[in-house]
Amino acid sequence: MTMTAETIPSKIDPVTLTVIDNFLTSTCRDMGVTMMRASYSPIFNESLDFSCVIFDPAGQMLAQAEFCPSQIGTIKFTVNWTLDELGLDAFEPGDVLIHDDPYRGSGHVPEHMVLKPVFYNGKIFAFVANVAHMSEPGAKTPGGLSGDATEVFQEGLLLPPVKIKRRGEDVPDIWKIILANHRTPKVTYGDFRAMMASLDLAEARMIELLDTYGEELVRSASAELLAIAERRMKAEIRSIPNGVYTFEDTIEDDGITDQDYPMRLRLLVRDEDIIADFTGSAPQATGPVNAIYAVTASAVYNAFLHLTDPTIPRNEGCYRPFTIIAPPGTIVNCSFPAPVAGGNTETSPRITDMVFGALQHAIPDRIVAACGGTSSPFLFGGTDPRTGDLYAHFHFEGVGWGGRRGIDGNDMVVTINGNCRNTPVEVFETRYPSFLIEEYRLLTDSGGPGQWRGGLGGQRILTVTNEVTVSALLNRMKTDPWGVLGGGDGARGGLWFKAAGSEEWRTFVEAFGTHSPSKFSGIPLKPGDQVKLVMPGGGGYGSPADRDPASIERDIANGFISTERAKQDYGYAAQGWSK
Amino acid sequence: MGDYSASVQVGIDTGGTFTDLVAFDPDSGEISTFKTPSVPSKPGQALLNAIDGAGIPMQSIEGLVHGTTVATNALIERKGARVAFVTTSGHEDIPYIQRINRETLYNLHWRKPKPLLQCRTDTFGVPERLSSEGAELRPVDTDAVIAHCRQMRDQGIEAVAICLLFAYVNPEHEQQVLEIVERELPGLPVSVSHVVAPIWREYERASTTIADAYLKPLMRRYVGSLTESLTTAGLTARWTIMKSNGGAMQAVAAADNPIQTAQSGPAGGMLAAAAMGIQAGHPDLLTLDMGGTSADVGVIIDGEQKHTTAYEIEWGVPAAIPLIDIKSIGAGGGSIAWVDAGGFLRVGPESAGANPGPACYGHGGQRPTVTDANLILGRLDPSYFLGGRMTLDEEASTRVMTPLANQLGMTVVDLASSIVEIANENMASAIKMVSIERGHDPRRFTLFGFGGAGPLHAAAVARSLRIPNVLIPLYPGNASALGMLIADRRVDKIWTKAYKSTNIDAPLVEQQFAEIRDAAIAELRAEGFTGEPDISYSISMRYLGQNYETEVPISPEAVTAEGLAEAYDSFIRVHEEIYGYAIENEVIELVSFRVTASGKRASPRLAVVPESETVPVRGMREVYFRGMGYVPAQVITRYLLQPGTTIEGPCVIEEPGSTTLVEPGMTVNVLEDGQLVISL
Repeated sequence: MTMTAETIPSKIDPVTLTVIDNFLTSTCRDMGVTMMRASYSPIFNESLDFSCVIFDPAGQMLAQAEFCPSQIGTIKFTVNWTLDELGLDAFEPGDVLIHDDPYRGSGHVPEHMVLKPVFYNGKIFAFVANVAHMSEPGAKTPGGLSGDATEVFQEGLLLPPVKIKRRGEDVPDIWKIILANHRTPKVTYGDFRAMMASLDLAEARMIELLDTYGEELVRSASAELLAIAERRMKAEIRSIPNGVYTFEDTIEDDGITDQDYPMRLRLLVRDEDIIADFTGSAPQATGPVNAIYAVTASAVYNAFLHLTDPTIPRNEGCYRPFTIIAPPGTIVNCSFPAPVAGGNTETSPRITDMVFGALQHAIPDRIVAACGGTSSPFLFGGTDPRTGDLYAHFHFEGVGWGGRRGIDGNDMVVTINGNCRNTPVEVFETRYPSFLIEEYRLLTDSGGPGQWRGGLGGQRILTVTNEVTVSALLNRMKTDPWGVLGGGDGARGGLWFKAAGSEEWRTFVEAFGTHSPSKFSGIPLKPGDQVKLVMPGGGGYGSPADRDPASIERDIANGFISTERAKQDYGYAAQGWSK
Repeated sequence: MGDYSASVQVGIDTGGTFTDLVAFDPDSGEISTFKTPSVPSKPGQALLNAIDGAGIPMQSIEGLVHGTTVATNALIERKGARVAFVTTSGHEDIPYIQRINRETLYNLHWRKPKPLLQCRTDTFGVPERLSSEGAELRPVDTDAVIAHCRQMRDQGIEAVAICLLFAYVNPEHEQQVLEIVERELPGLPVSVSHVVAPIWREYERASTTIADAYLKPLMRRYVGSLTESLTTAGLTARWTIMKSNGGAMQAVAAADNPIQTAQSGPAGGMLAAAAMGIQAGHPDLLTLDMGGTSADVGVIIDGEQKHTTAYEIEWGVPAAIPLIDIKSIGAGGGSIAWVDAGGFLRVGPESAGANPGPACYGHGGQRPTVTDANLILGRLDPSYFLGGRMTLDEEASTRVMTPLANQLGMTVVDLASSIVEIANENMASAIKMVSIERGHDPRRFTLFGFGGAGPLHAAAVARSLRIPNVLIPLYPGNASALGMLIADRRVDKIWTKAYKSTNIDAPLVEQQFAEIRDAAIAELRAEGFTGEPDISYSISMRYLGQNYETEVPISPEAVTAEGLAEAYDSFIRVHEEIYGYAIENEVIELVSFRVTASGKRASPRLAVVPESETVPVRGMREVYFRGMGYVPAQVITRYLLQPGTTIEGPCVIEEPGSTTLVEPGMTVNVLEDGQLVISL
């Protein structure tokens, strides 16, 4: 049963409603704390690349907290698939499901969802779930996200929704299969335990809530919160002028071919509904830059959640006014068994940015120029000489964000589809024997010029300390993070290699003959070799000619822009204006 | 005040507006209080004024604990020193890159916070490198450090923060850099990360170290001049400063570790709240400490404050110090009312502070404040402020209110009432953040109202949050200072060294534990503690591979080579309790070893029982309540109230440091110990 804005249930006093909404949200937040503290991988305990959510038995998301927007959008599809495939009767108290198959609703293979029913008075009252990006999914190369995969089977062990715990007891066969397929079974074991600990906490909290307020009240409050979110989202959409808005951007190569993949968006805004139509986008790619439908839908939701009042309860009700059209067999809705790993990390933020690009003239004070648009996935693994164990890691980076009206873009922040933290140098080098981090800095002049400048990207230089195998799935090395409304483009990213003893930085195409400079897998590196990751900047907003001179002077004093570029981009010279 | 033997304990809390003193004489059991305006231009002056005003002979003071907002204010107002950040070359942007995440999802207009550095060119990279195990990979380039020092001098650097990669494992490189900086720039304050916050994660450690350096010149001047004044005035006892964690540290040590005092004053208030709540039978409290400049709110569950190290100067700018968890907002008696660009009335966060203070103080304040509004509404007695030591000028309040009232098209009284309501709503929102947002229903708590202005506003805030009861402690205007008297002497010593359970040097652990225990006891003795200290031990452990530790208390018997096995069992048990699982035969990492030495102090007798038999009504006053207009209310002298008395609101209960307002329809009961409970 789906509640709509028209079928508002019994009136609940606003304080109780707020208390219940905040209780659910803070439960999600506390699940996250448990996960952070108990997990093994830096991708969880430092980067927080996971999301904790609560659903009702109809598969509607009731609450979430400040996790990864792309996961929050796709988990709706993951949970719904699971409930459809298994049916509610399949669940018993104490069961825990695990699931990662993108062709059954997961975002991509590394994203593992655990799901637990919350029983109350003998019936399922809710589901609690945690979706987390495992740093080792058992793909063709360590860390997954293999940049030259051609089938989803190369991207990790596919798990349809199966019970890893039944009635509170481990299902040993499932554990054995998974642990035999991951390079780092100990880490997987610890991380899965941490994920399940977060579910146990949420289950206990939900029961506490039900004991306090009673089943009926919590059920009514949940329905009302969904209705409120839908109502408020519709009111927000009404503030966007009706019209058809279009935008186009391109995914550059796919790791296998040198082909460009244009994506086309036609956004129809009518009163309180929005249709995002991707008809006309390129056919699906051979390599792993494809988005499954759930990822594309999630990226559109993400854009509108960013454009609307952040105090709207962030539940399923927010999604109801949106229809997403994405033809099957395209880069925005690929068909089985196309590889999908980069769809969730790379294509997703680009789709979100396209919505902002399309609306730049309609709501210029609310949108933002393009961000660097890549998570810079850089994967590596090998044998740890200290222990003899295999290890694997998914390393990612921040980018410059776009300028917005009145404010420069932020420097080095993770792309819009995530909200992960970086792994500190000290944690990185302690955990992994592969690299010494020589440099981690902001890159002068990488922000797109504009009345409000794009944020700076950055640069990281790593020296190999022990033999290691690396893979990459980067983006924005051939296309520009675009500016809006007269703003200039941000700097592109890069990925460079310098052999031990050499002084010359070369691309991976030049050094190793990979198909793509940004997407490849399984390249062995030797001690003394160096890798340079360059993270793109953000696009500028408005004409650089309108930039306040005091801001230019402050940028020069801080080394955010060079005097040369101040002159070139803004016509500014230290002694005054040159034009 | 009468004669004292040389045994008086004094707590003094200097806030932005007032300085509060509480003195306790263990011989007589007598508690006395005093309140005097703060002197922001010379913060130490108010402390001397308080001791002088309370008539306490310096020679009679045996212990002096001071809570100060010097550090807090400098951080909030960003008025600290110009700091040079010195780090491993290649990593100079640590304070700018931060952790790359965002404060909230879905806000395109969010601004990434700025570090406490004035300019990005104030960062300096030193060629040097340690490995993650602490081995030297590249030596310190001393010439580069010397060159940096010259540049710092040219750039007008006022303090230096040194934070090199992996200094928490091996401090040698930081020590080398420190030596050069001290030689090249003699007298310049320096903070070093392995001392300030010996934790891993370079950004968190760097941010804490920068904040410490940022405060150091200021705190040194403050402690130096105050020590001199106190000594000149005849103080012989050592004086201490309240730390954010609820313990006290020697003043000279505070000058060297100023970041530890970032939440000095509020910590005292929370200690007092917990103690007085338990005494009153209200162990679950939401606390509202409203002073002249700000309001601090916190949660106490079952008599315990929440502790954290997750302090942030603002979101994303951490200072990893141990502290009692509270939230501050700019809502105090001195908060200024103004009209924003959209034509809406706002209150705070700007404050008139102590100087000029609210208009009614008569020191030239030209802008209307919350205190002016309270005066106009009849909630304050102009002739009884600070127990009659200060007269309030109601005409001045009306004068500064009039232009704003005209601008908004309302009467002065309506404006005054709106100002109070907005301030109350701001405080209610802050309380929601620490209660509802963390899943605590405020209706299940008691509101603990203190600070000079807290008791005046607590009933209305409770009404807005539907909190059923309000507890007003004894001496609410001096509660933070009172908490400082309760504070135990507390010294924490930590030794960090990652061991695996399979490969532990047990005799060394035993020896290290003994060394830091002795050091902790010695520090306690140096602070004048002569009794038998309580010693507790703990080890922070994690499964090999985890990144966050679980602190496991261990018994003194386990602190031996043989007893460590018991510690592993404790860890496995505690881990299973918290996270619901244990991993058999997994290697355990022992990350840090802690000893806490605490010296219990004689607790003041927290009760006031008067001798008068009747309700001490001083008279009646017209007090304004929205929707009712001015209503006659009884004016009662608090410390003449008998335990067990019940009074119907509206009434105003006055005492020298504060005024409690009870609204119509509420009742107030006087508890056995003299505390007040307002029932809504």
